[in-house]
Amino acid sequence: MTTTATHPSPARPAALRPVTAVMRLMWLYLLSRRVPAAAGLLAGLGCLLWVALHEHWSIAGGAAARLVIPLIVESGAAAIVAVSSHGPFGEPERATGRWLPWLRLGAALTLAAVAFAVLSAGATGGYLPGGGPALLRNLGGMIGIGLLSATVLGGSFGWTGPMAYLLITEGALAGGWATPWIWPGRPPGDLGGALCACAVFAAGLATLTLLGARNPDRHTPG
Amino acid sequence: MTTATAPARPASARRGHLPRPPSFLRLVRIELRRSPMPLILPLIAALFWFDSYRPSTSQAPLYPLVTFWNMGQGHTIIDVGPFAAGMAAWIGARDGRRGTADLVTATPRPRWVAQLATWGATALWAVLAYLVFAGVMFAWYAHRGVQGEPPWWWVAVGATAVLAFTAAGFTAGVLFPNRFVAPLAAFGGFLLMMMSSQTGFRDRSGWALLLPTNSNGNFQVDSGILYPYLPDLPIARMMFLAGIAVAVLGLAGLPAAAGGRRVRMAAAAVIVVGLTATGTAVGLARTARLSSHGMVIPALHDAASGKLIAYTPVCAGSGFRVCLNPAYRRYLTDTVGALAPVAHEVAGLPGAPVRAVQAPAIYDDNDGQGGQPMTISGDPPVLSVPYGAFSFLPGPAGFSTAPVSRTVYDQNTRLLFAQAFVGAGDTLGTPAQQAVRAALLQAAGVPFAQQPGLVSGALQPSAPSPGPGRATGPVYAAAARFAALPPATRHAWLVTNLAALRAGQVTLDRLP
Repeated sequence: MTTTATHPSPARPAALRPVTAVMRLMWLYLLSRRVPAAAGLLAGLGCLLWVALHEHWSIAGGAAARLVIPLIVESGAAAIVAVSSHGPFGEPERATGRWLPWLRLGAALTLAAVAFAVLSAGATGGYLPGGGPALLRNLGGMIGIGLLSATVLGGSFGWTGPMAYLLITEGALAGGWATPWIWPGRPPGDLGGALCACAVFAAGLATLTLLGARNPDRHTPG
Repeated sequence: MTTATAPARPASARRGHLPRPPSFLRLVRIELRRSPMPLILPLIAALFWFDSYRPSTSQAPLYPLVTFWNMGQGHTIIDVGPFAAGMAAWIGARDGRRGTADLVTATPRPRWVAQLATWGATALWAVLAYLVFAGVMFAWYAHRGVQGEPPWWWVAVGATAVLAFTAAGFTAGVLFPNRFVAPLAAFGGFLLMMMSSQTGFRDRSGWALLLPTNSNGNFQVDSGILYPYLPDLPIARMMFLAGIAVAVLGLAGLPAAAGGRRVRMAAAAVIVVGLTATGTAVGLARTARLSSHGMVIPALHDAASGKLIAYTPVCAGSGFRVCLNPAYRRYLTDTVGALAPVAHEVAGLPGAPVRAVQAPAIYDDNDGQGGQPMTISGDPPVLSVPYGAFSFLPGPAGFSTAPVSRTVYDQNTRLLFAQAFVGAGDTLGTPAQQAVRAALLQAAGVPFAQQPGLVSGALQPSAPSPGPGRATGPVYAAAARFAALPPATRHAWLVTNLAALRAGQVTLDRLP
């Protein structure tokens, strides 16, 4: 048999144009992080915030207690952003993904923007203490905590950070703490609270971009 | 010998070669070893310290006060329950998340039974952790010398609530196995607890009493000190929460993958049992009524649980003796100092008390400390002082308010003493009673200028604050005249007119 007699190799798929390839890569990455489902859940939280404000859900106990229900919604949104950073592929993805840091950054920023947008829409249901600036600050800071948790504990456990911060904030608000690290307790225009929230958001985003969410499935039972 | 003629192996031997399915307890043991729940316990312990223990350190060292926030308002449940629900959801979603649901469905035990073993191990970790955290907290309270009895019934309620959280989270994980179920279970649980607080702070009767964060009318001072904590409401709450736990666990057994028809029938029966328990608890809570020592549910009430706790009082004071429950020993010296000036002013008058004793505070439908009056009764007359109802005991008074000063304590105590002496009860009194009370207070060291605010805060706590207030008007004018009289003249007038004054028959213009 000569080489001329060999069967021709199957036709290779037509090379994707660079833009299409990038778009496809981004879409596959977002799918692997369950971003569409996360966006749906964030929309649900926006609806919950709308109902809570419209129906005047609140806890008795003064101005600080009125923050609690919006804070639960905001930290829940941060938890969803954090959990969506969990990747199902682990080491192979890290070894082959040249664009992985940019994809992580893009996905996190996209979900953070979606979260802010839907919660802003939800805030139209009634009076949100602090308004849009406080929402942006609180949500950004808590997303930062969630991303840090995802980096340290794993994407699946990224929700524990915002949950813990929520509990600490609740106790601190009840106790009248004024530290800027408890930024939800600060006035919306407060520089210290805004700087702390921004710093945590930036730290969370940077660590997630560079390191990615830890994949604890190989080490963690359950 | 061919295979056709070979003797068949006895059936028992065949069975002996088949591995027997592991027992339920063995499954639980395996799950206990493999559970990820311990990984999160250090974080929960830290939050428990921060949110449940730390605020209690700024309270007076009496069990009902230090545990009001963490047990009465359920913050220990808020700290543990949502995390336990999130982790349980993560564990419950294991098979679906890892794509092994079909594989494990083929194992000898029905899937639901194996899932119950997994949940059992998860719940065991969570409940044990809760009990250990609460136990360590109470041990530390004992080390600090906190007085009274710990609210053990509320610890049991908390443990049952954590059990219910794990059951709800686990079932959510089984039914919706995805990455988002854990945060949704955790934050959903937290939101439920906050909504429970919203309803509980507002509603003081009916089914809302079952909410584990509702402290209205069921967790007040003097429980565990002068009388026991009534177990009626905690029992109903445990029934409610356990019913929820059982019902949601039954839900996990309904899908076809959970097992055969019999297993699913059993799961349906379990749901019915759970809902029955929950409904019964709601029905019991609707019959609850507030007694002087707490919430009574007639069907659960044991009359013996309402008896006063016997104690040997501690007493002090040379002329006017003051006797308190040993738990209040730290206030004894301050109380003698606060009561003595008024006692000196009224000494020798008809109905003037010869000593003061502590009386049990009576439950009200709020959180207690509603300014219950002192009373004078008996022969010889004795001043009964309901310390448990006072929100102005000197020293630390809660994590969100400043400590109460000795001056504030003295003035409030003297006001209530003078109020009891003029016979005004828990009302403001007639103008004449108000004037005599003001004169007595002035003589006992409470200036007229400070009295309007004092009276407003102590006798009209629900009225809007009048601001600084001014001691003007006919009442204070008459009081000033009366206080300016020589003590002997005042004394003589009171000897003659005290009975009529107490009966409300003296008008302001009859005061000298």
